[in-house]
Amino acid sequence: MQLIASQVPTLFAGGSKAITVNKTGEWRFLTPFKMNRLSPCRQGCLLDGEIPAWLEAVKQKKWAEAWEIMSRYNPFPAITGYVCFNPCEQNCNRTQLDQGINIRAVEKAIGLWRLDHYQPPERNKEVKKEIAIVGSGPAGLSCAYYLSSAGYGVTIYERSAVIGGMLALGIPEYRLPRDILRQELAILKAEGIIFKTNSALGKDFQLDDLYKQHEQVFLATGAWLARKSNIPGAESRYVYNALDFLCQYNQSRIPEVGKTVVVIGGGNAAIDSARSALRIAGVQHVVLIYRRSRPEMPADQHEIDLAEQEGVEFIFNALPREIIKTEERIIGVRIDYCRTEKQGLFVDRDRSFIKDCQSVIMALGQVPDLAGLGTINSSQNIFAGGDLVSGPATVAEAIKAGHCAAEAIKNVDEKLKDLSFQANYGDPVTFEYLNLAARNNLDLKQRDDNPVAEAERCLGCGTCNSCGICYLYCPDLAVVIANGRFEFNLDYCKGCGICVNECPARALEMKEEPANDF
Amino acid sequence: MKPEALVHQQEMVYSGHNACPGCGAALAVRFLTKALGSNIAVALTASCWSIIAGMPPLNALKCPVLHCPFPSAGSVGSGLKRGLEAKGYHETTVVVLAGDGGTFDIGLQALSGAAQRNEDFIFVCYDNEAYMNTGMQTSSATPFGARTNTAPYPLFKEGEKKDIMQIMAAHSVPYIATATIAYPEDLDAKLKKAKAIKGFRFIHILSPCPPGWGTESSETVEISRLAVTTGFFPLFEVDNGTTWRMTVQADIKSVPLSEYLGRQKRFKNMDQAKLEHLQAEVDRDYKKLMAKVAK
Amino acid sequence: MTFEMISGSQAAATAVQRVGVDLIAAYPITPQTAIVETLADFDARGELGGEFVSVESEYSALAFCTGASASGARVFTATASHGLAYMHEMIHWSSGARLPIVMVNVNRAIGAPWCLDPDQGDSLSQRDTGWLQIYCANAQEVFDTVLQAFSLAEKLLLPCMVVFDGFYISHTYEVVDIAEKSLVQSLIGPPNFKAQVVPGYPENLHGLSTGETVHKLVKNRDDAMHLAPEVFAEINKQFKKVFGRSYQDVDEYIPAGARKAFMAVGALAETVKWSLPDLENIGLIKLRMFRPFPAERLRAIVKAYELEEIIVLDRNYSIGSGGVFAQELCQALYQLPVKPVIRDLILAGGIDLTGDMLLNMLSAGNAETNDQYLEVWGDHLK
Repeated sequence: MQLIASQVPTLFAGGSKAITVNKTGEWRFLTPFKMNRLSPCRQGCLLDGEIPAWLEAVKQKKWAEAWEIMSRYNPFPAITGYVCFNPCEQNCNRTQLDQGINIRAVEKAIGLWRLDHYQPPERNKEVKKEIAIVGSGPAGLSCAYYLSSAGYGVTIYERSAVIGGMLALGIPEYRLPRDILRQELAILKAEGIIFKTNSALGKDFQLDDLYKQHEQVFLATGAWLARKSNIPGAESRYVYNALDFLCQYNQSRIPEVGKTVVVIGGGNAAIDSARSALRIAGVQHVVLIYRRSRPEMPADQHEIDLAEQEGVEFIFNALPREIIKTEERIIGVRIDYCRTEKQGLFVDRDRSFIKDCQSVIMALGQVPDLAGLGTINSSQNIFAGGDLVSGPATVAEAIKAGHCAAEAIKNVDEKLKDLSFQANYGDPVTFEYLNLAARNNLDLKQRDDNPVAEAERCLGCGTCNSCGICYLYCPDLAVVIANGRFEFNLDYCKGCGICVNECPARALEMKEEPANDF
Repeated sequence: MKPEALVHQQEMVYSGHNACPGCGAALAVRFLTKALGSNIAVALTASCWSIIAGMPPLNALKCPVLHCPFPSAGSVGSGLKRGLEAKGYHETTVVVLAGDGGTFDIGLQALSGAAQRNEDFIFVCYDNEAYMNTGMQTSSATPFGARTNTAPYPLFKEGEKKDIMQIMAAHSVPYIATATIAYPEDLDAKLKKAKAIKGFRFIHILSPCPPGWGTESSETVEISRLAVTTGFFPLFEVDNGTTWRMTVQADIKSVPLSEYLGRQKRFKNMDQAKLEHLQAEVDRDYKKLMAKVAK
Repeated sequence: MTFEMISGSQAAATAVQRVGVDLIAAYPITPQTAIVETLADFDARGELGGEFVSVESEYSALAFCTGASASGARVFTATASHGLAYMHEMIHWSSGARLPIVMVNVNRAIGAPWCLDPDQGDSLSQRDTGWLQIYCANAQEVFDTVLQAFSLAEKLLLPCMVVFDGFYISHTYEVVDIAEKSLVQSLIGPPNFKAQVVPGYPENLHGLSTGETVHKLVKNRDDAMHLAPEVFAEINKQFKKVFGRSYQDVDEYIPAGARKAFMAVGALAETVKWSLPDLENIGLIKLRMFRPFPAERLRAIVKAYELEEIIVLDRNYSIGSGGVFAQELCQALYQLPVKPVIRDLILAGGIDLTGDMLLNMLSAGNAETNDQYLEVWGDHLK
């Protein structure tokens, strides 16, 4: 009898089945969740931006997504990428490892991507209501952006011929290239925002006029009134207040300043003035006088460093006593040394000297000019924000104020609720709390300007930054890769918690899932 | 470490296997099979993975798995590799998987025989330091002082952990190495290096066991990291029994052994004397190892 | 035909060389040693064909064969006595794994104490493991059976043990037709069974199974084993065409009218066969295939010859029970309405059988009681 193999009784019929039919997810009683803990950079950010989130998007080269996250809190990253003082970077945990992340470079890159990839809307959108904004500085522009994105019609009234407020007139070109500003403004115009220049509140129109055409009004006229100096000799055509000086300089109307310029003051306006003066042809020397010490200067420390590197001479603990001049010209400034005592500033007239110069720039601070507002009808809503309300502050704060105003305007029919954006997240994730051991010899790397490289160095600090450690360490392969990111596959997760324990960013937590009805 | 390279490497283990939550052996086998790729055949002797692999026809691995009896890992592996060669499969890597029992104790004879014959396969011992599959009984891989279910308190493991690496080095085989799951790149590199070598290769992977060691299931990777940083389980490799090399440097003076032991309930009843004994053993072995590395 | 004067061990080794085997695992134990040494000689002369591997124990030898057979390679090993006992776990495993391994076991007593005589208890104590077992009575049978074993095993997917007596067969020289390699290979052919481990096919082989599954698998194995007589007959039909000789699972040498017969296995059968002419009216049932136990054939023989008495020669003893061949015979004959009387001559320890012992056995049966079953120990008959 010819025996064929298949006739031989054997149960090895062949074939195998993957064990994936066994849904081990049913074992668990705790489930891992992705958290969004407060990162120290976000804590420092004046815009409450979700910094680790957009850094992660840039790491993945998902620029559109990075812009989307950015725009939730900051519509002008190209601008802030140039001019923000980056308090975020000061808090960066990575500083304790090698060097902090160059968050500014990444923000700027997102901004530039935005400018390159902007697509104007195909047709005019339908408009819900019309809103008026007075002032085209960062607060007004930000409010306009958020209202326009929400379907509102926006008209911005600007008293000068130039749009941008501090961005155009206050901050020098070497800090904010005007082409960037121009592109941002072009976008706003393409979105349908209307700009009316040479329209001054209190002069060309009154507040009441606005309410005839607009539902709501947002005042963002800034703080442009310069504090005056009353020392002898301050009334001279060669004594400039900083804002006037910068406005002229930034509109290419170079003021006459001679060879040596003395700047009085310690704020950003003083530094901007000093560094701008240096760039004027013919200027040989710029001296900055400040009444207190260098660490006490309110200006951004980085800017001060740059001014120093560029050659500005700093004289600390000194006050101007008198401006020495002839009929037509200034020849110098008498300066006394001073010191801070309990009772106040003590001027030491015995230690005094004269600084030769041909011009003086007074940067003694600005205050808002409320004159043009007139009387406000108490039955109308009126919104105000930015330097107008806070006094001189930063571009970031102005942008935030404009965003808050937009939210308030959108919710005006509802009861006014707390629109504070700084949600209560608890304490930020510290460097010690991070789990860097999980990374086993993290490659130390110097900070540089490459945005993707810098984004790769971000440690996440409470937010998932797609490092893949959870994927790698799951004994059950219950983490799946989806579009470069990592998600839990709850069909198989046994709830062991290794992912939570190992996550370098401490971005995960085990929690009980909502109870199921069995 | 850059996880990216390992993350995108092919997986050879399926989800849905029956390992305990947080199982170190599951991670060990996941990493080693990832490193070796798909052209492998596994001989698997009695151990936790005999169960984790699943009940036929289900398979937790994406390669052929040949189960075999407890003492036989080294010899079944020898036959399997030579058989596959005879059938023309010259590129297939044969991996023999055994626990500490099937390596240090009941499997030692076959292991030694295969090593002496320089059989051409990779013998991987995933070591959870006791007979865990049968419920945590003492093996010769159990460290001094640990309690097990055959040495329950006030008893404890009296002998030292058998030095399997010295035993294997004495066989002068082409390549041996230690590895553990908290250093996946190191493990990966070693398996890849092993794959390219002909002849007998032995890899000893420390694989913590949460129920057996008395640790939280979430701490498995952390514990294995501590095993290395305290000097308890140094990571090294040996070429041809003569050239010893550390592959992960650890400043063991900066992390005391008590940090490692204190997390594990199996060492809960270690008194000061036992602790010192174990510390002395670890120090002595580390010094011996350093002397070999220096040469 | 190619004749040579060789021992039983050499005949076994030569058969292995003729068939063409991929891998041989070798471990020495008296009285099998000449088998592995002869194979080593073939290897030294470059005539072996496959790989010869000296392993470190018998357990490892069978484990090695298991791994190799699982990959589809044809394998062989040999052992005896303690070595066989040592492999016990693997003997079970390799049968359950349905691997067509061929192993020679040379019968030798298992201690304690040490003993080299050919008690058959070593192979018989493996009778529950699911291996085919064929016993050989002389060197030619050894040669031919080993050849056939490969074919049988690979067709049934069951391992096959070829058994013969230590020293009586392993160490005595006889004239054996050792055939030509090409002739053998034209008949037996290359390895012909499905490999279990195939790279690229992720089977989970022999993993944890339930009792229900194993229940079916055991039945499955048994069903396969019961095809053995048929398959064996077919193999022998072809064998006869090529070599002019053939074998059965049971041979009978019963003169007409004889109502008594011996039943013997191995060298003992040869001894009895040669003694038959000197004994009156008694035949011989020569049992060759012990697993599967040829129960039907034995019942048929008893019925055909109307046997009233069978004297079983048991060179073994299951302590606390009895001689193994007699027990199995009894179980086979239980169904018969009329059962022959069974006399069981116990030669445990491998003691020698003389003509006088045979005669005394015949008369012992008559003198004793009318018990249906009588057990007689060999040293009583001397």
